[in-house]
Amino acid sequence: MKIVHLLPLLSTLAMLGHAQDNPAASSTMREELESVARVGSVMVDGDVCQRIVTPLAKEYMFKVDPHNEWQAGDNYDVDDVSFNITKKTLIRLSHLTSFPSDVNLWMPIEGHPGKIQMVIRNKNEMSQFWRWGALYQDMTPQMETVLKTGQRVTVMNRPDWISVLAPVYNSSSDIVGLIEAVSRGRMDAHENVK
Amino acid sequence: MRRFHWQDSFLLLLLLPGQCWAAASLEALPQFLRPDPFGGIVTPDQGGARLRSSLYDARHRVALKGWRGGYVSFQLVVESSAPAAYSLEISLIDPAHKIQTDLFREWFHFTDSDKQYYPDALVPVHAPYSSRLPDPDNRIAQQTAQAFWVDVYVPPDAKPGMFVGKARLRSGASTVTVSLQLTVFDRVIPAEDVVTVDHNSYGSSFLAEQYGTAYHSYSGNWFESDQLFRLIHAYHQIFYEHRGIMHQLGYGHSGKVAPEFAPALAGTGRTRHVADWTLFDRHYGPLFDGTAFASSRRGPRAIPFVYLPINPEWPASYEFWDEPGYEAEFVNVLSEMERHFREKGWTHTDFEVFFNHKKRYMGFPWDGDEVRFPKDIKYFLIYGRLLKRALPPDSPVHFVMRADASWDMEQEFKLLKGVVTVWCCGGGILSFYRDAPKTLRDRGDVVWYYGGPPGVTENAAAITEFPLRAWLWGVNGYVHWLTVAPGEDPWFHFDGGGTVLVYSGDRFGLTEPIPSIRLKIQRNCLQDIAVLDSFKSQEPLESLRSEAAHRFNNSVLDDWWNPRPALADVPSDQWQGSAIDAAMEHTNKSLAHPGVSAWYNVHEYALQLAGEAK
Repeated sequence: MKIVHLLPLLSTLAMLGHAQDNPAASSTMREELESVARVGSVMVDGDVCQRIVTPLAKEYMFKVDPHNEWQAGDNYDVDDVSFNITKKTLIRLSHLTSFPSDVNLWMPIEGHPGKIQMVIRNKNEMSQFWRWGALYQDMTPQMETVLKTGQRVTVMNRPDWISVLAPVYNSSSDIVGLIEAVSRGRMDAHENVK
Repeated sequence: MRRFHWQDSFLLLLLLPGQCWAAASLEALPQFLRPDPFGGIVTPDQGGARLRSSLYDARHRVALKGWRGGYVSFQLVVESSAPAAYSLEISLIDPAHKIQTDLFREWFHFTDSDKQYYPDALVPVHAPYSSRLPDPDNRIAQQTAQAFWVDVYVPPDAKPGMFVGKARLRSGASTVTVSLQLTVFDRVIPAEDVVTVDHNSYGSSFLAEQYGTAYHSYSGNWFESDQLFRLIHAYHQIFYEHRGIMHQLGYGHSGKVAPEFAPALAGTGRTRHVADWTLFDRHYGPLFDGTAFASSRRGPRAIPFVYLPINPEWPASYEFWDEPGYEAEFVNVLSEMERHFREKGWTHTDFEVFFNHKKRYMGFPWDGDEVRFPKDIKYFLIYGRLLKRALPPDSPVHFVMRADASWDMEQEFKLLKGVVTVWCCGGGILSFYRDAPKTLRDRGDVVWYYGGPPGVTENAAAITEFPLRAWLWGVNGYVHWLTVAPGEDPWFHFDGGGTVLVYSGDRFGLTEPIPSIRLKIQRNCLQDIAVLDSFKSQEPLESLRSEAAHRFNNSVLDDWWNPRPALADVPSDQWQGSAIDAAMEHTNKSLAHPGVSAWYNVHEYALQLAGEAK
């Protein structure tokens, strides 16, 4: 049990150490993203977030049909009202930085511990974690830390990138997801235009 | 096939400094028999052995026949059982100097899937062309044969008649000659295609990746350089020269727009406006006024279609979705675009409002591409209304809304009548709705269907099935969903080419794309279809189509459609893959595996009709 708790902590410390070696991620950038993440934890409504991904999408997300490799994606659906409410909030949060940034929404998947899905991305198409096109993926230790402890975690895994992860709460005070406030030192105007 | 050997029994090797001479032969092959690097024919094309003799006349000359305003193609194969240096030249005597010959070295790609070599990329070379076997560039151990693709271009104003020429191989002290005879018919291939073949692509990053020499040596922002725009225009040019068109999507699934695809914007809400047209105009100006094609054999012409950068996040910010500010931003910028295009005289292109995003990429809550859930159709209606507000009804600029439809296409055809006017339909599902093409075209809509290029491991005629199907179905065209992605190492570890029809010329010192055998065969097929269709004033179109289908694979027109399945009456979000596959069983069975000779037979039919017309 102690080991379980220590691992995320050590990982977080390692990330922070890495951040200090990264000149592109200026202290201003870090501070602003941390501020966005802090505000985001308050502003993003976890109950609304929980209504975004539809039961149909959840039902098919892990199904594998050897005759139809696109089955999960083809059945991916969202509730557009909840999606739009949340996405607008995320966009506005990104306006709090003095540089281009995105605020993404990630949510764990009920019944599938260790897995997490990107639920909303934004217009700069930035994320340090998203595997392009993946409906779900393995949760990183940093994400796990946020979801378990409610702490904000700064991540600089990739050179030139900085993300701040922060918890999203619902009305029962449960942590139901996390936001990723993200930017990078040098913007790539063409990345993910595909 | 006639094989021209020189010094058959004189196997003296003349050893010269740095090279060695050996007996070599020169043979000609029709376009559908792709050679391998060891003197054989690639396995998928071996069923077309009878085509070998079709290239020759009774006097053992390579007998080429063609119409004006197009191309006649064949292949030459240099073969030597021992390492040899050689020089190849080709000439056709035309006193008027109208007829032109293009020579390409065929690249043999090693495909990882079956560990075989297939020729596909065509490297332009000038005749006389000198090299050696094994080819030092292609690096194939034990290579004994090098193939060349020959395009003979007959311009519309060439004089009909007979032209003679020869291909000559020199190797050491000996020479082998293949006699050529070209018959040019009076008929001119219609310049306008009855089937539009579109070559789709995404973004510009692939250009930086595939033209590393230019990209890495450029000191500034390459994506704003003349080099980039010349390269983009070169891609449009190569497809245009091969009777096709190209699309290049400029935004991602979350709405990120690459700067060269859109004017720069400023302001927010009612103050949103275009701040700078510079990059957009450098990119698109020569494509919209046709000057990018000034040096083309087909003459300058504006591109007929283009994706606009419009998406749910551009030009209006999604932050304001469903609010007055969103409408203001959208209408302001669209109005400016219309005005700018009108002032520039860009009135020969259809400007497509096209939504490519899918909700599975987490950017937006509805599918713009391939609507599956009927509830998503409402978004198209909203944008239709916004467009109407933004654009003057009498504008000479053609803004169109395009939808790529699959599961729910039948509903969309009904509900989006008058809103969407360009339809790009999944071919499998469109095959359920035989009446749809006519219904849509009768109301003025454009109908394409989509799929992907056949890989090189399929037979050489496989690519002709797509344009033929479009013509038989009576739709306007066909879209290859991706044609510029050759994989990580197309030269020595090829993925088969299912997403590429043109290759980067970078490794050959060229700053432009190079064509493929499949692209050439597709072009020649499109020429034939244009000719076939031109006979509809003399013969019923259905009769022409029926005979073409029969010649192609012994099919009847009914074989190209599936009966409307019970599935079609179930809401599309309840369709599942296996049921769709079952509903396509009829065409899958009827049309499986057309032979290597399939298009040769259709071409012969067109020639026969032309002969009858005389």
